[in-house]
Amino acid sequence: MRTLVMNVRLFWQGTLLSYIALFHWLRPVTYLASKIVMPLSQVLFFTFLGTFATGPSNAHFYVIGNAVQIAAVSGIYGVTMSIGGDRWNGTLPYLFGTPANRLVMFVGRAFIHVIDGMLGVVIGFMWGVLLLGLDLSRTNFPALGLTILITTFSTSGLGLLMGCLSLITVNVMFINNAVYFALLIFSGANVPIATLPVWMRAISEALPLTRGIASARAIIAGASLAEVAPLLAGEFLIGAVYVVLGYTLFRWFEVQAKRRGTLETV
Amino acid sequence: MNAIEVSHLRRVYRATIGVLRRSIKEVVAVEDISFEVGAGELFGLLGPNGAGKTTMVKMLATLLIPTSGAASVMGHDVVEDADAIRRCIGFIFGGERGLYWRLSGIDNLRYFGSLYHVDPDVAKQRIPYLLELVGLKDRGRERVEGYSRGMKQRLHVARTLLHDPEVLFLDEPTIGLDPVGAREFRQVIRNLQSEHKTILLTTHYMFEADALCQHVAVINHGRIIALDTPAGLKGHVRDLSVIELEVFGVPPAVVDRVRAQSYVESVAVENRDQKQTLLVQSPRGSEAVPDLMAALNGTRVGRVVVREPTLEDAYVRLVGGEV
Amino acid sequence: MSLRLIRESWRAMWAVAEMTLRQQVMDAFILFTVLVQPLIIAILALWMLRDKGSEFAIFIVVGSGMTGLWSSLLFISGNTINLERWFGTLETLVGVPTPLAVIVFGKNLANVFQSLTSMIVSYLLAALLFGYTLRIEQPVLFGVSLLLTVVSFISFGLIIAPIFVMNPSVQQWQNAMEFPVYILCGFLFPIALLPGWTTPLSVLLPPYWAARALHGTSSGGAKVEEILLSWAMMIVFSAIYFFIASQLFKKMVVKARADATLDME
Repeated sequence: MRTLVMNVRLFWQGTLLSYIALFHWLRPVTYLASKIVMPLSQVLFFTFLGTFATGPSNAHFYVIGNAVQIAAVSGIYGVTMSIGGDRWNGTLPYLFGTPANRLVMFVGRAFIHVIDGMLGVVIGFMWGVLLLGLDLSRTNFPALGLTILITTFSTSGLGLLMGCLSLITVNVMFINNAVYFALLIFSGANVPIATLPVWMRAISEALPLTRGIASARAIIAGASLAEVAPLLAGEFLIGAVYVVLGYTLFRWFEVQAKRRGTLETV
Repeated sequence: MNAIEVSHLRRVYRATIGVLRRSIKEVVAVEDISFEVGAGELFGLLGPNGAGKTTMVKMLATLLIPTSGAASVMGHDVVEDADAIRRCIGFIFGGERGLYWRLSGIDNLRYFGSLYHVDPDVAKQRIPYLLELVGLKDRGRERVEGYSRGMKQRLHVARTLLHDPEVLFLDEPTIGLDPVGAREFRQVIRNLQSEHKTILLTTHYMFEADALCQHVAVINHGRIIALDTPAGLKGHVRDLSVIELEVFGVPPAVVDRVRAQSYVESVAVENRDQKQTLLVQSPRGSEAVPDLMAALNGTRVGRVVVREPTLEDAYVRLVGGEV
Repeated sequence: MSLRLIRESWRAMWAVAEMTLRQQVMDAFILFTVLVQPLIIAILALWMLRDKGSEFAIFIVVGSGMTGLWSSLLFISGNTINLERWFGTLETLVGVPTPLAVIVFGKNLANVFQSLTSMIVSYLLAALLFGYTLRIEQPVLFGVSLLLTVVSFISFGLIIAPIFVMNPSVQQWQNAMEFPVYILCGFLFPIALLPGWTTPLSVLLPPYWAARALHGTSSGGAKVEEILLSWAMMIVFSAIYFFIASQLFKKMVVKARADATLDME
């Protein structure tokens, strides 16, 4: 019982600290700029571009795709920096020196970003409804909520993996940005997957977000939870795979670093 | 005309502390400083860390604006006429930073050379000459990120001399250099002085000021506490002998007791690893040793040496005991 | 201002541009902003606009190049003074006879040149990978428009940098300013798609006029008066921004010297 309580406390402490430390959450202006204006501008840009390309009747395709893709911001930037941030702050050696439960530590870092990511997606949808005429009248809201939850979870999984990669390489921002933008292509946010060549479709299937976006589009068009269940299960599974991969890499890194004494290398 | 004139210069730093509840803290770095440096002179600013030396030099180099008071370099005011000053001065604040580490040493010099309006043909000749002067002749093509700290310092020196300025501000220039490098560098400074350049040097190495400078201003807590030639400064302590006592862990109360002795002028405590050296200045010289041992009752004492005072001791006496 | 001073500042500016290019060519973050991101946007847009026909290829190549220009201005040029402070070189740069504004001008010049390479690469991408035939309708006018674009972007960059330095809270909006400019300036779609009340905002932004000129001369269909109007607006804006920038830089340096913020403590 005591271990459980300790782990829970560890979880919450890590979570809150990592968020505050890295995002100056206490400043409302930064929050406003990054959480509300940025998603809006991305949704607007791609929706306008999309309707320019394929006609105004397709607006919802782009709105939904980009709104859900916003989960990637928290997943990739938030979680990656959360782990990579330890290295830059030099606190990783201290963390590794504790007897704390590694898995709890690891997952705890991502937790707040999942919440944060969901909030971002909701805000994205809100803008879609307010400004771009998104029609949610046929939507099964619990199903949509579940979709958002699972999608943010799976992008966070990707973020965890990338966070571990960042512990090894130096050019983490390059990779972060490249993946974020690549997702705009591969996730189907702006381009129907069916129109992509086969090899690109394969990549799409292996990435998070793809099934989540498809599921969201289906739900808003009126599908039931049962109909999108296979997609959601797939999305969840992908996320879990990334989490496991990331955790394995994390433990490997710790062993390597301790063996070679390179905990504080940049 | 004096090369540098400083009149009642004062510089206050204001820092805001705290994130949610902000308060303002004021630190007076330079309290009230006045001095003059003649053309072609080698002038030293000597003082412990935090005395205000770097702040002083930055104001003269037009990088900081004084809070009050006035200063001029080559007749130009440091605030109103900064552009004119920048053409004829060079400055080093040294250290690891201040260079473009992705570029080579030569490229750094070419870059700064063009910023200093050095003619490209002139630069082409000066750069190899300067690299040789500072001992970087074969390393010029390497990227600065691979340089050691001492090499970076030397590249700073080369940079400063690119445009052949009339006035040089050298802030702690031999820090980070090994003893041989430092000695070579001091020779470079002497050579520069023989070319009639005006040099303002800051240092906390007393022997350096003694060896190089014609005049030395001793600074502490933002004020000049003495201004004289090195010989003149030594005169402050001519009547005193210095007794060095090697001790092992002396508590502050005991130091105060020694300081309170009537025949003791000043006590400085020098810490090195496990050992401490008490530097006691007293006109009684070796006669004071038995009484000192009594005052140090209980503390283990190792070597005891009695010697003539140096500029270092004068400095210690002036600055008040902490090294 | 003496003739000698102008000549030396001119020379210094080119030296700065050259050294900046050499340094930045190896920087991954810069390469991403200047090259990779515009390319991804180009690929995305080329794919999305497939069905509109190959005449749109040149439109996308030019438009995505402009997104690269703006992003590099926002993130690289905007941050350039802060970066020098981080390097520890800002003090030296202030202490040299060359004015800081001239130095930053040189850096912006380098950034703009680097950005334009992305336009060339997406041109090759569209031509070779996608197999489109791309034609610039009015090459000479396009060339002049490009030159004016370079100048107006540099001048815009000259005021962003000191504003970011003097008002760090403005820099918080840096990320949020990226896409809105793409939208309002009509880089990849005409602003006719936007609600009417945004047009005054668009008109006040120099990149909008640059986009009009570049798109008009490359995709064709623009009347000579329209192009001349765009050129005139770019020239006017550049002049205004150069003037404002010179004032801002003076203020910024004096303030930094008074507040002791030329170096990190």
